[in-house]
Amino acid sequence: MKRRSFLKGTLATGAAAVAVNAGLLTPSTVLADWNTKAFTAKTTDDAISAIFGASNATVSGDVVLKAPAIAENGAVTPVTVDASGIAGVESIAILASKNPIPLVCEYTFGAAAVGYVSTRIKMGQTMNVIAIVNAGGKLLKAEQEVKVTIGGCGG
Amino acid sequence: MSINIRMRGKSVGGVAEIKALIKHPMESGVRMDKKTGKPFPAKYIDVVAITVNGVAAVDAQWSGAVSANPYMAVQVKANAGDEIVITLSDNTGDKGTETLKLK
Repeated sequence: MKRRSFLKGTLATGAAAVAVNAGLLTPSTVLADWNTKAFTAKTTDDAISAIFGASNATVSGDVVLKAPAIAENGAVTPVTVDASGIAGVESIAILASKNPIPLVCEYTFGAAAVGYVSTRIKMGQTMNVIAIVNAGGKLLKAEQEVKVTIGGCGG
Repeated sequence: MSINIRMRGKSVGGVAEIKALIKHPMESGVRMDKKTGKPFPAKYIDVVAITVNGVAAVDAQWSGAVSANPYMAVQVKANAGDEIVITLSDNTGDKGTETLKLK
């Protein structure tokens, strides 16, 4: 809920920007909302725990993860997570299991949003894309392997 | 420096799919510069927020693993005439904002 204050925070950034320019604050202190712990975690389990407080997600068919089976260019892998069939989706996280920092992005939803996210992510090698959906405190998961073939002819 | 954003959206049956295309290098800070042997300095969008008529709808946090020139699509419950605002900032403090009135 802290992140909700981000927009209100932008009004106050005028003053904060002055502080940054004066070298009083580093940008990371201003954007304390950013989950540093989750975004520096080196394993998927650590990252998931850092966001949701638990890493025991159950595989669910209601979490529809759309990703290509073979990505010709790992730097732009289209990924779509559709959890609109689940009631009360609070957040969705997308992770790439073998990236140096597995957590790619995390979306938190308000009342006016539908549990749906589509984006493009970078993947350094063949690995699993994991989508975690938090619906009413329950963690649901979908996982799919994406083969990255850049510079080679399949693998 | 402000970040360039292009946003589109259309409300169908009370649900609008909002698509945003953002111009940004999304440098993760991990990629090495072969000439100097040092990593390129990190510069990526880390916080994104979308509001519908001023009410927070979607808050996102990104790492440097979101592709360069990011594309994102989300769905919100909104009707024609509703105002969608996207606000984002990167780890160096650059900001961008864009407003869309739904058709």
